[in-house]
Parts: sequence; C-alpha cells; structure tokens
Amino acid sequence: MTSTSRDDRVVADARTPLRVRLQHAWRPFRESSRISRGLIFSGAGLIVAFLLLALVGPLVYPYEGTQYRDEVSPGTFITFPELAPPSAERWLGTTRDQFDILARIIDGATLAFAVVAVAVSIAMVVGVTLGLLSGYRGGRLDRIIVTSMDAVYAFPPLVLAIIVSFVLAAYISPGVPSAAAAVGLVYIPQYFRVVRNHTLSVKQEPFVEAARSFGARNRTVLGRYVFFNVVQTVPVILTLNAADAILVLASLGFLGYGVQPPTPEWGYDISQAVNDVAAGIWWTALWPGLAIVLLVTALTLVGEGLNDVINPLLRARGKAGRKIKAMPTPRREASDVDGERLAARVRDLRVGYRTASGPLWAVDGVSFDLKPGECVALVGESGCGKSSMGRAMLRLMPPGGVVQGQVEIGGTDVVTASESEVRKLRGEGASLMFQEPMTRLNPLQRVSDHFVEMIKTHLPKTSREQARAMARDALVQVGIPPTRIDNYPHEFSGGMRQRVMLAMSIVLTPRVIVADEPTTALDVIVESQILSILERLRVEEQVGILLITHNLGVVAEACDRVAVMYAGKIVEMGPVDEIFTNPKHPYTRGLVASTISLNTTELRSIGGYPPSLVDPPKGCRFAPRCPHVMEHCTESPPELTDVGPDQRAACFLYPGAGQPVPKGVVVPSGDPQVSGI
Amino acid sequence: MKVGSLGRYIAQRLLLAIPMVFILLTLLFLLLHAAPGDPVTATLGGRLPPEELAQRKEALGLNDPIYVQYFRYIGGAVTGDFGNPITDPRSVVQIVLDTAPATIELAVAGMLVAVMLGVTVGAVSGRLRDTPFDIGGRLFGILIYAAPVFWTGLLAQLYFSVNLGVLPSQQRAGGFDAPESITGFYVFDSIITGDMAALGNVLSHLVLPAVTLGLLVGGIFIRLVRVNMLQTLRSDYVEAARARGLKEHVVLFRHAFKTALIPIVTIMGLQFAMLIGNAVLTEKTFTWPGLAQALVNFIGARDYAAVQGIVTFIALVIVGVSLLIDILTGLIDPRVRY
Repeated sequence: MTSTSRDDRVVADARTPLRVRLQHAWRPFRESSRISRGLIFSGAGLIVAFLLLALVGPLVYPYEGTQYRDEVSPGTFITFPELAPPSAERWLGTTRDQFDILARIIDGATLAFAVVAVAVSIAMVVGVTLGLLSGYRGGRLDRIIVTSMDAVYAFPPLVLAIIVSFVLAAYISPGVPSAAAAVGLVYIPQYFRVVRNHTLSVKQEPFVEAARSFGARNRTVLGRYVFFNVVQTVPVILTLNAADAILVLASLGFLGYGVQPPTPEWGYDISQAVNDVAAGIWWTALWPGLAIVLLVTALTLVGEGLNDVINPLLRARGKAGRKIKAMPTPRREASDVDGERLAARVRDLRVGYRTASGPLWAVDGVSFDLKPGECVALVGESGCGKSSMGRAMLRLMPPGGVVQGQVEIGGTDVVTASESEVRKLRGEGASLMFQEPMTRLNPLQRVSDHFVEMIKTHLPKTSREQARAMARDALVQVGIPPTRIDNYPHEFSGGMRQRVMLAMSIVLTPRVIVADEPTTALDVIVESQILSILERLRVEEQVGILLITHNLGVVAEACDRVAVMYAGKIVEMGPVDEIFTNPKHPYTRGLVASTISLNTTELRSIGGYPPSLVDPPKGCRFAPRCPHVMEHCTESPPELTDVGPDQRAACFLYPGAGQPVPKGVVVPSGDPQVSGI
Repeated sequence: MKVGSLGRYIAQRLLLAIPMVFILLTLLFLLLHAAPGDPVTATLGGRLPPEELAQRKEALGLNDPIYVQYFRYIGGAVTGDFGNPITDPRSVVQIVLDTAPATIELAVAGMLVAVMLGVTVGAVSGRLRDTPFDIGGRLFGILIYAAPVFWTGLLAQLYFSVNLGVLPSQQRAGGFDAPESITGFYVFDSIITGDMAALGNVLSHLVLPAVTLGLLVGGIFIRLVRVNMLQTLRSDYVEAARARGLKEHVVLFRHAFKTALIPIVTIMGLQFAMLIGNAVLTEKTFTWPGLAQALVNFIGARDYAAVQGIVTFIALVIVGVSLLIDILTGLIDPRVRY
C-alpha cells in the first residue's frame, strides 16, 4: 500500500458516515480466507464457553472453590477426600487441601476474567490518555513520555509485574485490584504507541488544517480521527493483551504474588501441585494448566485471525473464491517448421485468477507471433491484461493464477512444460524485465552475487571467475562501470538498477525479452538509453522483444509492430506506421487520438471505463464505449480479421469479423488526430 | 563494507542508549521507593532491636534526603556498584557473579531450542501457506505459547522424571557430579576440563528446563518467521529471482528465507526481556539456582536493597542486549547503516 492511498483512506474515514465506515471495516472479513475466519470463530466460540463457565458455572455447580466439606444434613458435615483422582462423582478430582478441582477451575475463570477486564481497562485508559497527551502536546513532554514508555516496554513484563505487586502489597492486601494493577501496567506502552503515532500523524493531515482554518475545534477532529484509526488496531492488541495478561496473572500466582491464598486462581493451584507431581499425581497440575492453555489459545486465535484480516500485508492473494479448474491441455509436440523460425509463438493464451466474485480472465484468448530481431509492442490501458500476458510468457503466476493455451519459445511449450523445463527457460531462453527497478534486486546481495548465482544455475560448468567476467561484459553493454560489480543494490540509482536488471536479462543472450514497462519509473534520458540498448540487442543479437507499455511515444521510437489490448483481448495488430497513421479499430483510434503529436489539433479521450473482467460483455468488449456501436456488436464477439497488409482488427465494421457489415456504415479512416475517432 | 559508516552507526546507537538507561533507572528508583517505610524496617522489622535497626539505616544512608539517595543510586549503577543486600552478606555484584552463569546457560540453551524450532516450523508454514501443515504449525505455535512455562515444565517432569525416570528434574548437576567450577558455566567448564561424565550429567540436567523454556519462546518465533516468510515470498525481488530461472530452493533459501530472518534478529532482542521473565518461572519450576531464582527469593524476603540491585543489573543487561542487536542488524543488513 502506498502512502498516498493510505492517506486517501484516512481522509475518507474522517468524513464518511458511520454506516459506510462500518461496511468498510467489515469488507476485509468478507474477503478474508476461510481459514482466518475459521480461526476467529473457533476462538470466539471457546471464549464464549469460558465466559459461560465463569458466569453461569458458580450458579450451577454445587461446590465452591474453597469448600472442603459438604453439609449433608443440618449440622452434619462430610469432608471431601484428599487427592481423589477424577471419577464419576468428582469429575476432575480433588486437591491435597480437599478442594474440588472443577469448582476451583470455575472460580478461577471468574477471577481471571475479572482481573483481565480491569487490567486491560487500566492499560487502555492510561495508555490512550498518555498517547493523546504526548502526541498532541509534542515537544519535551512527548520525548520524556516516549522514552519512559520505551523503557517500560523493554523491561521484562513479568519482573515488572512482580515488582509492582511487591510494592503494592505494602499498601493493600493482595486481591483482584492489586493483581489487575500489576498486570495492567505492563500493557500501557502498547496502547500509548498506537494512539500517539496516530495523533502525531493527524496533526499533519491537510484536512485537519482545513478544519482548523474553518474554526472547527481541533480536539473534535483529532478525537474522531484517532478513534476511527485506533478502532481498527485496538481489537488485535486487546485480545492479544488479554491472552498475555492471563499468563502473567497465572505466573504471579505461581510465584505467590497473585491473589491471597486460598482464593482459587489457576497459577496458584499449579504451584500447589508441584509436590503432587513428584509423587506421580497428575490431575492437580493438569486441569488448571489446561484451562489456561485453552483460554489463552482462544484469545490468541481471535487476535491473530483479526490481524490476518486487518493487516493488508498478510491478506492472502488469490485465495478468496473458488479455485479455477485448469482445463486439461494435452502436451503438444513442439514444433512445426514455423515454430523454429519464430522467437515466440503465442496461441489462444488465457490467464485467469481467483477472486471473491468468481474467476477473472485477465487475458482471454490472445494469439500472436514474435519473430527473431523483431520488437512487438503490447499497448493498452492499465488493467487490460498486459502485465499478466508478460508474466504468462514465462508461466510466472501468483498463487491462484492459471495459464491456458500455448506459448512456444525455442521449441518448448511454456504452458505444458515441466517445472524444471520452464525454470531452465526463464532467464536463459526468455527474460522478463520488470517495471519497478527499485525493489527487484535482493537488498542483501551484491550485484555480482545476483549474476553469479543466475549464470551458475543455467550453465553449471561455468566457474565463478568466468561468471563474473560475463557479468562485467553485460554491465559494460548497459553502460555501468564493471568496477561497481560488487556494490549492493541500494548503492545504485533507480536508472542504474534498471540497467543492472537489463544486464541480467541479456547476460545469457535469450531468444526473447519480455519488457514490462521497463522505463515507466525512469526519466527520459535513462529511458532512451534503455531503449537504445534493446534496439542494439534486437539488431545485433536477433533477440525478439515484447515491449509492454502504455506509452505510445516509446512504441513509435522502438517497435516494429503493435498489438493493442483491450479488456483481455487483442483488438488490433499491425505495423507501427499503420497503427499510428491509419488505425482501424475504434479503440485504437481513440487511443491514438488521446496522445499529443505534431498533428494534434484537438486532444480527445475515450469516455467510460473498461468492463469488469469477472462478467465481461457478451459481444464486443468495447461496444459500451464505442462511438460506432451497431446492433449486433453486443451479441457476439468479433474475430480478428485482415484490414490491410499485415494489419488485423477485431471489429464488425470490417468484413470477416463474423457478421456482415450493414450497408451505409461509414468506416473511419486516416489519422484519428486529424479525422476523428 | 565501509568501516566508517558502521563505526558512526555504532556510536549513534551508543549515544541513544544513554537516555534510555537513565530513564529506566529513574523509573525503577521511583517505583521501589513508592513503598512506605524504609527497607531495613520492612526487611528486619521486629527481628532486631530498634537501636540496631536505626544503626543499619544510618549505615545504608537511608536517612539521607531522597535526592541524595537517588544520585548515590545512579552513580553506583553507572560505576558498577549495585549495593549490598540486607539479608545476604555478599554484595549484589557477587550474587550476580555467582548466579548469572546458571541463568545465561539456561537462556542460551532455551534460545537455541526456540530458534531451531521457530525458524524451521515458521519458514515451512509460510512456504506452505494455508495447507494442513501451515494450520498445524500455527496451532502448535499458539498452543505452546499459550502454555505457561511452569505447567509445561511440571508435565515434563511428571512424564520424563517421575514416570519414565530418564531425566533429572531438579537443580543443575550437583554435589560430586558437578564439574570443577571455573567460569560457572557448567557446560563450558566440563568441556575445558575434559570431564565427559560431568558433561553428560550437566546436559541431562539442562534438557528439560531448556526445552521447556525454548518451546515457549519458539511459539513466538514460529509466528514471526511465518509472517516474515509470507511477506518476502511475495516481494518483488523474489518474483524477479524466479524470473531469472533460479532453482526453487535457491529462491526460497537465499532470497526469501534469508531476508525473512533479519527481523528475527531484532525480535530475538525484544524477546530477551520475555525470556528473562520466563526464566524466573523456569528456574522456580526446576529449582535452577540462577539469578532469577535469587531475585524471587529476595522479593520473598522483602529485601529491597537486593531487589533494587538485581533489577538494576537486569535493566542494564537489557539495554546492552538491545544495543548489541542494533549493531548486529547493522552488520547483516547493509541498508541499515545509511
């Protein structure tokens, strides 16, 4: 998530009505994986069970935790047996002190909930107050509180709790309040941090300044903003703290600093069982511990599950929705004569992803040829399937992605080949260059390590020195001084990193380079350097290049042919000159018309948005936005048909697309910047 | 590696640690002096005649104004003088020297178990996300984290010591079995003296406490390694590594796993505090004669002076460890230094 989109969300948060915000908050749940939800619900179920035990148990169960005898008739008592093993009569057995263990578990649950509720409340109230104060005031006060909180946070929680209860014991006798105070203190820093950071960041928000300039009370905005951000994080901290608090309480009890004995408390009960264990008696220690484990597990499950759902970094990609059944594609024998002469041959390629609302075909039946020494541009709006196409060429799919059809590179069918064949092909037969050079290199490895490991994978017989020599050659080719081979990625600028990536793409002289917007993140000078290196490779090494871009200027500079993609399909394909001066498909015409060139008289843009790929239109996918739309355009999809020498378009304006062209239809022609779409 | 940048980085960290120590010590002082009365009366009140109590108070400087006591305390802590207990003739420093090796031995062994367990289960879980192994691994991690260390310890004693009788459950190797004490680290001592019988004995005593402690901390590691693994596995450079045709195990180990481990070093530092807390419980459960056990005993005896001294020592160690971790991160990750 980029910082901008985060800010957008935040701004929206402070203004939108509560209902929308709640829906927004619920959305991650709907989109979360079944496992996360399973974790949350099973944990929540266990917590409810324990709550019932703590609240209803004492009313229903006949004995109390500190009771050691039963009044059978007025004045007649029967004392409980000592250390009775679990039986039908005493389900969990009795202790050395003749207490009924189940009764002590029940009362222990009541006590645990009481202490944890008070402890977490203390931590939250103090932490939130200090956080607001510290973040709001800033300055020296802020620095002192922050360092103190860090100090408290760094200190062992249990030791801190022991010291606090030790000091408190001088004032009040040990009980729920002192235990809760000792346990609660430990968690103050966590709430403090969250609230302080949000308070600090809100002070710099533009909308707060705006509100202030309108005379709104600063505190109102602050309170609301912080509230809605904290509401997202606090449930996670709260459940995890509660889990931890139960452990700390039990630990205090075990060490003898918890509540006053013989008050039933799980940790204290375990400490009383230490001597029983040496005698081989298991039930006095087992049950209270099991209660702790179950309750802490339940709380942790809920906390972790919520974290999974809320934290966007942990959300699974491609896990929502049903799995796409891969159509069994028969393994094809490669290859006919044609295939040998081509750098790459793509036939009926389909790329699908799982989404919550059904399978999405990002690429839906694409075919084209790439000749050696040729540069084909793949253009289209963002989201039209260009990048999926590029990755599918190397069968590089995210989880939940499926590739169908045929991609033939150097006699290997990428779609059906075995994992090791595809792996061999990647980097050696076909290279993929990515859009963002900044994050594509492993930050812990020197550039030389990247090269050596890659070269030695593909050419195992190469020595380390040979590999380094090859790397230096490749670096020189892209204009990077070979002396920098042992630098780390962070020591290069973005443009240099992209050139390093390019050097890695060419070091094994592949047949095909798929370059996915390789210059988008770079400035114009670096862009033209990269393009001229690609040009040289194409001419001198006969490498076939598939250049994925949305920049038509780059296309005009570097490519021979253009394939225009719209909503997962190729709508037009032809030589660069034709596509720019005489495009046939209305979408291509719109695309060309929307760029600026020397001929520009009027800048036009295409109205509307691309269709949803989960449920694409039945007919032509461009029909809803097309100025030339006809009746049958919405009925069936048009086929690619010849519209000129080496130029094909999928549009019913041209004969051969699958429907007869009605009489009197005016077919657009010429430069769309001059003659219109 | 540029030594200059690393040196500057270390110096910077050192400077940042100073206010931390100062504030931590001040907080501890305030906390311990929040109790009413004076430490001598609290500890020995009723057991000694009033004149003698007054004498002891005067000797310990407890009649001085609070700020004098404060500065004396800070000065002592900085110069390595942690004071003298009221109930023990040894100085706090001597007590630390006597007992800390046992605790460190336990903590290191526990950390070893934790890292081995956490890193393997966590990494495999992250790789096999949402498969039965992952769900099992996560549940296991949560369960062992949820189990109080003293309870796991007791059950382990019940099974391995009482029922099977294969492992000792109390103390470090004692009496005639103990190695000749040179450093106080029994494992180390028995190795340098070449006393293999003692080594076996020492290790057998170490197994249960170390595994008990390690399991608990390992639960946290499983969770963290798994999450880090998930994040690096979907990172851009891992995809790029795949695109270069690297073998899957190279992608996994060299690219995803190695970077996933960087935060682990930081986490090890953070977990150190938790490890100490749980060492208190483990030492009590296995009557392990370490520093934590000593602290608990002094708290039981209400010996403020000893508690203050030991806790101050622990605080200094914690700041030292976090400093060490910062430096270690700087060494591993070249980006941090800039």
